[in-house]
Amino acid sequence: MAEQFISLARQLPTRLQTFFAKYPPGTCNTARTNPFKPTVHTVTGKWHNPVFSYRRQAELCKMARKWGVEELLPHSKKRSDIREEQRLKRVAKGIHVKGTKEERTLKARLQMRMKAMENMPKLIEEWKRRGHGKGWKEWPSGKARF
Amino acid sequence: MAKKAKSRTVAVRLISMALTGYYKTLVRPRAHHPLSMIKYDPIVKRNVLFLEQKRKGGNK
Repeated sequence: MAEQFISLARQLPTRLQTFFAKYPPGTCNTARTNPFKPTVHTVTGKWHNPVFSYRRQAELCKMARKWGVEELLPHSKKRSDIREEQRLKRVAKGIHVKGTKEERTLKARLQMRMKAMENMPKLIEEWKRRGHGKGWKEWPSGKARF
Repeated sequence: MAKKAKSRTVAVRLISMALTGYYKTLVRPRAHHPLSMIKYDPIVKRNVLFLEQKRKGGNK
């Protein structure tokens, strides 16, 4: 079983492999050892930046998500499960994120587009049959649907 | 005062029927029938049907 895990781990991208070699899963989840968290120096009391910036954390999380090993990374606010947790917390508190119109209507617009593309060969055939637009009656109004 | 003469041509907007909001603007003679053609829509990355948008006062 262990060998199977090792061979699977060898298939990961080099960047993830080196990360897990340096920070094995489950060993760096405390605030002091987590490379994704800032640390306070025990002697000087000064704060030091995390080893990995938010940008690099996000890159690692994205890569790990693609390979299905995101839970093995240390605690980071860029991890999708933690982001979801935070979102649920906001929902429970009743904080509603309105988002932009583009974000709110994206799903519906994509669905509309997909439906239109499914119907496209039929529409083109009909258009050709009716004399390439000469007998066409249903011209679009051009008004935005959302 | 006499009304200003209408131009011989009109600028029309051809809308992608993939409903992506992509369009092409063309110029056609006013007396010509509305335009429609199959053209490339870069948003869906396919050739799709483009139909002329209805103009104010109908498609004449």
